[in-house]
Amino acid sequence: MTSRRLIAILFGAVIALVTACGGGSSSAPASHPSSSPPHSSSSASTGAAAKQKSSGGIPQNGGGDHDSDNNGGPSDGDGNI
Amino acid sequence: MRIQRHRALIAGAATVIAAGAIAASVAFASGSGATGSPGSAATGSSGSAAAHSRVAAAAGSRPAGRAALNWFRAGPAPADWHQVTLPGGGAVLSYPPSLSPMTGDKGTVSEGFTRSGRVLVYLNVTPRQGDETLSGWAHFRVGHLTDDDASSARLDGAAGGLRFRGGPGSCVVDDYVTRVHANHYREIACFVRGAHASSVVVAATPAADWARYGSLLERAVDSYAVR
Repeated sequence: MTSRRLIAILFGAVIALVTACGGGSSSAPASHPSSSPPHSSSSASTGAAAKQKSSGGIPQNGGGDHDSDNNGGPSDGDGNI
Repeated sequence: MRIQRHRALIAGAATVIAAGAIAASVAFASGSGATGSPGSAATGSSGSAAAHSRVAAAAGSRPAGRAALNWFRAGPAPADWHQVTLPGGGAVLSYPPSLSPMTGDKGTVSEGFTRSGRVLVYLNVTPRQGDETLSGWAHFRVGHLTDDDASSARLDGAAGGLRFRGGPGSCVVDDYVTRVHANHYREIACFVRGAHASSVVVAATPAADWARYGSLLERAVDSYAVR
């Protein structure tokens, strides 16, 4: 085996390592939505904005929301953020 | 001699890097698979000492998970229990006389029992608000907890195809830790579809008090009726 051939193998191995790490890091975020509810994209916004977003729902945040779950109490059945 | 040493070094380095690449590929592959398995940890870390995942990945009923809901038998409440109807008439919650109304969102009903400001029993009925579905209820509920007010949540059991009084329902049993005060609750949460309206019934107690109040919560869920 020549030195040139060995260097080629070494180069290929480095490329493989970089590809493996890069692929893994890009697939991690993709797995996150699968464990979140469909509306989780709105969780980046503030709670107030998310609650105001609901259509035809219960008034929230000053509009009638007295959630105990915002104060350490049990969570209610409200499906909005 | 020197050339042979260089060759040996290059060959050794190539072997190590190749082994690392293979190991990294295997690790990432197994990691992404775990996020989809029931009850496994998924993404992120809550920093909590509890063995909760930030978002429990379990998203559907499974044979072992159904055991947590084997107690379910739809039926009338005890004769001395009270009843409250959801505004709009879509559901009726039955609860023992020891509970009293609790503050909640407009359009919902909440009954509970507190001691020294600590909620020991909590019943809540809320009309369908978001993207709740019978088939995706477990995924929705546990995900919603961590999106809303829990720092961590864990699915302890789930079952679909339950026959409530008035319509089909899907239920979960889960426990979670609140972001505020880090209170640890265990709950039964069901999404039930009535002929005219769908709703969510929640029955919760501090996890440490489940042995004391769990059967009461189960009875409240058993007697839940939709229209």
